[in-house]
Amino acid sequence: MKKFLAMLLAIVAVLGLSACGKDDGLTMWCIATKSDSNRHSYEAAIADMEKKYPDTKLNWEAIENETYKQKIKAAVAGDNMPDIFFTWSCAFLGDFVEAGKVYCLDEAYKEFADKLPEKMCKNTTYGGKKYGVPLTMNIVGLFANMDILAEVGYTEVPDTYEKLIECCNALVAANKIPFGCAGKETWCVTEYLESIIEKSIGAKALDDIFMGKTTKASWDNADVAKAVDLFQTMIDNKYFDPDGVSLGNDAVKQNFIDGKYAFYMNGTWNCADFSKKGPKNVKVAEFPVIDATKSKLGQLIGGPSDTLAVAKSAKDAANTAKYTFELGQLICKYGYLDGCGLPAWTVDYDASKVNALTQSVAKIVTDSDYMVLFGDTAMPSDEAGKYLDQVAKVYTKQVDGAGFIKALKEGIR
Amino acid sequence: MKSKKYDGLTIFLFLLPAIILFVGILVAPLISSFVNSFFEYKGFGAKTPVQFDNYRRLFDTNETWFKPSVVHALILAGLSVFVQLPLSLGLALLLGRGIKGERFFLSVNFLPVLISTVVIGQLWLKVFDSNGMVNALLRMVGYLKEGEDNIQWLADNGSGILLYSCFVPMLWQYVGYHMLLMYAGVKSVPTELREAAKIDGATDWQVDWHVVIPSMKQIIKVSVIFAVTGSLKSYDLIRIMAMDLKVKDAAVPSTVLMDFMSLRQEYGVASAVSVMLILLCFFFAITIGAVFKERD
Repeated sequence: MKKFLAMLLAIVAVLGLSACGKDDGLTMWCIATKSDSNRHSYEAAIADMEKKYPDTKLNWEAIENETYKQKIKAAVAGDNMPDIFFTWSCAFLGDFVEAGKVYCLDEAYKEFADKLPEKMCKNTTYGGKKYGVPLTMNIVGLFANMDILAEVGYTEVPDTYEKLIECCNALVAANKIPFGCAGKETWCVTEYLESIIEKSIGAKALDDIFMGKTTKASWDNADVAKAVDLFQTMIDNKYFDPDGVSLGNDAVKQNFIDGKYAFYMNGTWNCADFSKKGPKNVKVAEFPVIDATKSKLGQLIGGPSDTLAVAKSAKDAANTAKYTFELGQLICKYGYLDGCGLPAWTVDYDASKVNALTQSVAKIVTDSDYMVLFGDTAMPSDEAGKYLDQVAKVYTKQVDGAGFIKALKEGIR
Repeated sequence: MKSKKYDGLTIFLFLLPAIILFVGILVAPLISSFVNSFFEYKGFGAKTPVQFDNYRRLFDTNETWFKPSVVHALILAGLSVFVQLPLSLGLALLLGRGIKGERFFLSVNFLPVLISTVVIGQLWLKVFDSNGMVNALLRMVGYLKEGEDNIQWLADNGSGILLYSCFVPMLWQYVGYHMLLMYAGVKSVPTELREAAKIDGATDWQVDWHVVIPSMKQIIKVSVIFAVTGSLKSYDLIRIMAMDLKVKDAAVPSTVLMDFMSLRQEYGVASAVSVMLILLCFFFAITIGAVFKERD
């Protein structure tokens, strides 16, 4: 009897302790770790929210990108999701929505519709319903070290494809490396390849391929093959650093900062770093048009992808949804002011101190009329995997244009 | 009779914690992986039965890199058995002769085993970097001419060099481990046997070949099993050296598994890879055991 009572007491004590650990506040998971360039925007936004809602405590946790993908999927699988969670738009969030784990934000959106343009919610709308709060958005930009370009007689970033090729030839002749691309991280290769394909076949055609709007056979496009061949011709012509195949993005980015390359194509989240660390004289532009009959300037790769979403299981989901919109708006504001991306939300504050590069990107986006989301974000993860496999082979010339479209036409189910 | 029953119950109760751990940690996940390998499953949401489709996909080179990954793992296993183990054996025999500074050399050779794999990976990344030590050495000796491009030791470009670049740190890291196992074997050979052979006029080499090595067959067997199964399961160093889960030239079953699980979210195919990996490890462990038994 004594033993039984002791055990009973122990169980009560354990239950009591676990109850002590519970908190009535909201929980949030994101990827803004201490080394992440967006960390400050999260901290500042959360501080503002805690001031505004002192009774609502937000317990937030930041997890490294790749680990986060695993963790959130496991949480969805185990019905153990935080109230608010960071997600990428399109297919990544779409899987959770399809599984019925995400709270629909249509009602809450009504209150914020005047500050958050409908088009910014396009990538997180499924079956006509909104499920995500977009934060900042980014595009792929052609960053140019103007000091290196000046050495071969260019004072502006070449604005036509012909001029770009002339410029690259001049750079090669002067023993300069035009482009740096990290072959060890396939997403970096896509930044080049997708831009070249888009400016060859047009944004609408590429968007249709990525989003599977037509049949999967849309990969069977001779112009895509031609664009891939063109990219490989650029590699053959020594426009790319041959050491790039063995480098990761950090090394390539550092090489650009150190003045080893004239150009660097990558996401505009780099604006903040380039403004602070160099190169001294850097400009950003969009990749020039290759086939003017199919594409034009103003067609970009990128768009709103970083998103906050609310779990269906969230405490007081309706109010949590409103809280998430407010929080998202603030993260967007601070992220833009820090130069970590462009605002998905309307700017109703003084943004004159945003770095010049980010302001250039803002102008490019304002002048744009079509944005195609990054292929590996737009496509379902299994298809994205096969796509990235082929992209990696293109960079190392293990497959040519014809082989690329053939493999994707056959490989994507 | 009553007492026997009581004994049986006692034995069972004493074994119960171990059984629970064994079933919970080893058997249950194995069964779960086996079951999942017959479904299309993203890790959450509905599971769709696909019968043997995940296994069929493993052997379709348009779909997965599983087949080349097994070949790569077997190349690593071959290199481990025919390069790493003889090197370890040689070192163990040399140190076992009681040379001067035996303890020091033992510690030096064992040191890489104690260093974290991440550190070793980062170290060798610098060595094989396109502007690293190896290319610098090749330039110095005139193998690489002025203006000639660097050799891309770490590029996943279809040349296949990456696999061998990954093997070098594996060799460096584990040669000391196998050496230590074999050193224990060398030391366990009775001194009388060595002395008797010496009195009969055998040289050091003959003593090692005819007396020491045959006496440590069991240890060599264990080393071979560890080397082969370790190669089949290799992941960490390749992941660090390749810097990408989607590595092709040095793909091994574990990188394919992680690609399907982590990047493609195809848990069904990832489970099929894990089942095949377990079967391969069992197959080789049993085969190696049988080969050594036959020789006995």
